[in-house]
Amino acid sequence: MQELNERAKLLYRTVNDLGGLPREPLNLTEHPLLPWEKRCHALLESLNARGVVSMEEKRRGIEDMGQTIYAALTYYEKWAMCAANVLITKGHFTPDELAQKIAQVKRRFEEGT
Amino acid sequence: MSAFAAGQAVRIADRLTIGHTRVPSYVRGAKGTIERVLREFLIPEDDAFGRPHGRRQTLYRVRLAAHDLWPRYRGLASDEVQIEIYEHWLEPVEEAKQ
Amino acid sequence: MSESHDHEHGEHAPIQTHETPGEWEVLEIAVRELAIEKGLITADDHRRLLEGIDGASPMLGARVVARAWVDEDYKKRLLADGSVAFELGIDNYDRTNLIVLENSPQVHNFVVCTLCSCYPRPILGLPPDWYKSPSYRSRAVRWPRAVLAEFGTVLPDDVSVRVHDSTADMRYLVMPMRPAGTENWSEEELAKLVTRDTMIGVTVPRLPSPPG
Repeated sequence: MQELNERAKLLYRTVNDLGGLPREPLNLTEHPLLPWEKRCHALLESLNARGVVSMEEKRRGIEDMGQTIYAALTYYEKWAMCAANVLITKGHFTPDELAQKIAQVKRRFEEGT
Repeated sequence: MSAFAAGQAVRIADRLTIGHTRVPSYVRGAKGTIERVLREFLIPEDDAFGRPHGRRQTLYRVRLAAHDLWPRYRGLASDEVQIEIYEHWLEPVEEAKQ
Repeated sequence: MSESHDHEHGEHAPIQTHETPGEWEVLEIAVRELAIEKGLITADDHRRLLEGIDGASPMLGARVVARAWVDEDYKKRLLADGSVAFELGIDNYDRTNLIVLENSPQVHNFVVCTLCSCYPRPILGLPPDWYKSPSYRSRAVRWPRAVLAEFGTVLPDDVSVRVHDSTADMRYLVMPMRPAGTENWSEEELAKLVTRDTMIGVTVPRLPSPPG
């Protein structure tokens, strides 16, 4: 790639574009997926299979979160946030519908336990 | 009809990433050769914005010499990176001029 | 619809064993329920994909590799067209387009996705954490031998490394070399040597240590 100043580089490298950057050695510790992480994976696969949100739309949604969120959230946290963002962007539900649903889910758990 | 054939020398375009792309920065501008021709796929630039009937392009696997990609690469001259690139990101290389 | 959902959850609450869920779990549940209520997906879609995910594991890939080791004709077809792998009754739940890469005494293949985490999920299961980590994604294409060494894999000096950056529409399965000394082994015994990491290409199959 051509030589660029630091700000111009941001036009040429997205937050997920990591190939060739120096990093720490591998951490080979593995964690079994939490049930909600696996459900989140199946949710995005379902949306993809139905043509609602393609995997490429999901990837772009994650890249567009910006460096701070991209670096801070876990893998499936990004997927969950991205699914909500993209579905809202595409007009499938509104932010207030999501807020109401979240309140309803929390209430259900409080009452159920 | 695909524009490139296996064994042909190509250059991967060096463009900015506004919008969306699946071409990583480390291969942009690099020269390589077509390893094989795959088939047409919906391109990520359109797929990423919810256009399932968007543009389709032939996808190729391109072989790149590791020594060409990385300054001071430590490894064999025959070490390679192979990557899939869509046709609209590939430019022909005039081999005679190299 | 949401009322009946509340009701169902109420009935099942006693068998729930987990604590109050975190914000992210709540978000996942909320988005999924909204997607179902709005008719974007069905609960059955979601269940079937969970089953697809649960059904996939490296044992499937190992069966494919072991078959290729014992059946030259199958191997030829598999290398020419990776979709042959799904002939063994494997549920290709995300419509993976597969390419199988054969390791040889001259060339060692391994796979990374520098941009995210592309992986042949129907045949290997979900990728391990390290495959998705910035450390692996950053370094595999530039310092492949250093990365392999972190898995304990040290290649002979004359073996070329071929790193496959899996960032577009194809997914990759490495066919490792069949270890010497397994000439009389059955397909089932051979499959046990083929682990997930050997099919990503970061390790090579090893024979079990001899007793004593």
